[in-house]
Amino acid sequence: MIDSLYLAWRYIVFNRKKTITLITCISLITFLPFALKALLSESEHQLMSRAATTPLLVGAKGNSLDLVMNSLYFSKEEPDFITMKSADEIIDSGLALPIPLYTRFQAREYPIVGTSLDYFEFRHYKIEQGRAFAMLGECLIGADVASKLNLSIGDSILSSPENLFDLAGIYPLKMVITGVLEKTNSADDKAVFVDLKTAWVIQGLGHGHQDVKKMEEAGAIVNQSKNLVTASSKVKQYTEINTDNLESFHFHGDPSIYPLTAIITIPQDDKSATILRGRYLSDQQDQQIVRPKEVIEDLLGNIFRIKDFIDGVVLVVAIAMILAVMLVFSLSLRLRQKEINTIFHLGCSRATVVQLIAAEILIIVLASGILCYLSLLVLQHYQENIVHTLFIS
Amino acid sequence: MIRSTFYSLRKLLLVSGVILASGNSRAEEAAALNIVTVNYPLKFFAESITKGSATVNLPMPVDIDPAFWSPKADDVSALQKADVVLLNGANYAKWLPKVSLSLFKMVNTSSQFSDQFIPIESAMKHNHGVGGEHSHTGNAFTTWLDFSLAEQQATAIFKALSKKTPNLSASYVTNFIPLQESLLAIDAELTQIGSSLKGKPLLGSHPVYQYLKKRYQLNLQSVHWEPEDAPSKEQWETLKKILKKHPAKWMLWEGKPAPETVTKLEALGVKSIVFTPCANKPEKGDFLSVMKMNTENLKAIVNEK
Repeated sequence: MIDSLYLAWRYIVFNRKKTITLITCISLITFLPFALKALLSESEHQLMSRAATTPLLVGAKGNSLDLVMNSLYFSKEEPDFITMKSADEIIDSGLALPIPLYTRFQAREYPIVGTSLDYFEFRHYKIEQGRAFAMLGECLIGADVASKLNLSIGDSILSSPENLFDLAGIYPLKMVITGVLEKTNSADDKAVFVDLKTAWVIQGLGHGHQDVKKMEEAGAIVNQSKNLVTASSKVKQYTEINTDNLESFHFHGDPSIYPLTAIITIPQDDKSATILRGRYLSDQQDQQIVRPKEVIEDLLGNIFRIKDFIDGVVLVVAIAMILAVMLVFSLSLRLRQKEINTIFHLGCSRATVVQLIAAEILIIVLASGILCYLSLLVLQHYQENIVHTLFIS
Repeated sequence: MIRSTFYSLRKLLLVSGVILASGNSRAEEAAALNIVTVNYPLKFFAESITKGSATVNLPMPVDIDPAFWSPKADDVSALQKADVVLLNGANYAKWLPKVSLSLFKMVNTSSQFSDQFIPIESAMKHNHGVGGEHSHTGNAFTTWLDFSLAEQQATAIFKALSKKTPNLSASYVTNFIPLQESLLAIDAELTQIGSSLKGKPLLGSHPVYQYLKKRYQLNLQSVHWEPEDAPSKEQWETLKKILKKHPAKWMLWEGKPAPETVTKLEALGVKSIVFTPCANKPEKGDFLSVMKMNTENLKAIVNEK
């Protein structure tokens, strides 16, 4: 048997191109269904684990999938805004506790998630280094943000402008990192968390600037009447918040109309959840309440229908490929007729020839299996990112 | 009589409501709540209701006005560890928009009467950059000087704590009733004083008496003086102008005024009395004793021949 394997090995090495082609084809057709299954089960895990632990989500009426994907996975699809008043109404109802979210801005390609401290308690997260944000302008970063950007507590990160060509737009805010979250294997690893009020400062709803009265001599006041002071652009607006300028930061208007993208809603019990859901059923209501689990199950249902179709296609291709491999071997036997005759002349039996061919097939299948296994290991290493890019981002 | 019947009925409903609520709620192990308040009146209400079953903290030093405290990050980290943060509302605690606290733990004690907030009218508006015209002022915030509102704030605390620790709600009821009665008694007494004053002109040394003025129908006009600082020449001139239109003979002070100021005021025919809002912990006594003292001081005006 060893002799047969040796001869088969020498034959395979001699016919490299044919062997490589065969190994690649067999590996690919074996890898595809396994890879598809692995990716889908990872996407199911990633999508469902957060959806199942988020009881209800309130957002603007519209595409519920966009709302869920933006709120749970911080995807770039931005739902319409609701206001802080909606969160106040949920508190006042006594039926549930709200965790507001405002996920509109980015910092170096990572989403900035404006929320309250309750988010971390709700998700049962621990802070690996440092502390939670405490003051305006502070932020807490996910584990991947810290490792990929090589950031730690005490460093800072700038919010990105929404539009590079909007020269008159809002200033970027330099945020101080006060803590790094433990690795959670979720979208939170790739997020920059700030207090809602800091997110509103990024938007320009709150700001800090030099004392207008002190700038009077420098010509900063354009017009002044009894009740109104109009200042010019000479008044410097601060782009970072520190202990020296914190006092100057203030918000304009009624905070209850400040924007949110969604509210994670934690009902007191099932009865409260039902009553609360009933309040969003009216046609006049411009908000919707969804169960993220149901939305994600719908999405996964569609994905699995596509998977079933792809599985069918892969099966047909696999059958075609097995036939092609069989054809390759039968043609190969014809081409090797002289070689086989020489083997007979040397006194070998028909069984020896079969043994030689079987050894060749065994080596090719084994090599394909190893290649497929290695490819699956590589896929396993990157599947979290692949799923995040393909299905979530 | 009608008012007293109304309050008795309200008390009965409240007590029965809490007993029903506690009967329905799951009995939990008693854990000492860590309560933080933004001013002394709320601390006093919380302490009176919990009577030692919770730790109640007022985080700022005693010598500063809690409304204008500037907490550092370490102070805020300590606040974040509290189980309950009692807020006054009405734009009190100017530091609140600059810090991060749990929404679940904050209890706004004035949310039930936000329609009764008194807006500050003389707010300077300004305009610069994006955002258009705006001003940085909002509502008057010494809400507890209207004792009917103070009673509502105490009720809000009582309800929030009963919800948080339902197993202690029966003892909270027992503790809350005397507090409620004391607040309503002061309210009734001040109402009586207000009607006895019959619109007599009064001065306030600082714009903190808006709710007192509204509730008890005081004919009061405020200047912007500090008890420990000697008023400037301009401030005296402003006062003289006010006195021409508003011939007040008494000025209410937040704290004991400087003797020179008192003498100068007396030369203008204005006597001084202390009516302290007691926003921070008093040197002597507690919230109720200070307010009773304030009430006695006001009676001096009524008793003036």
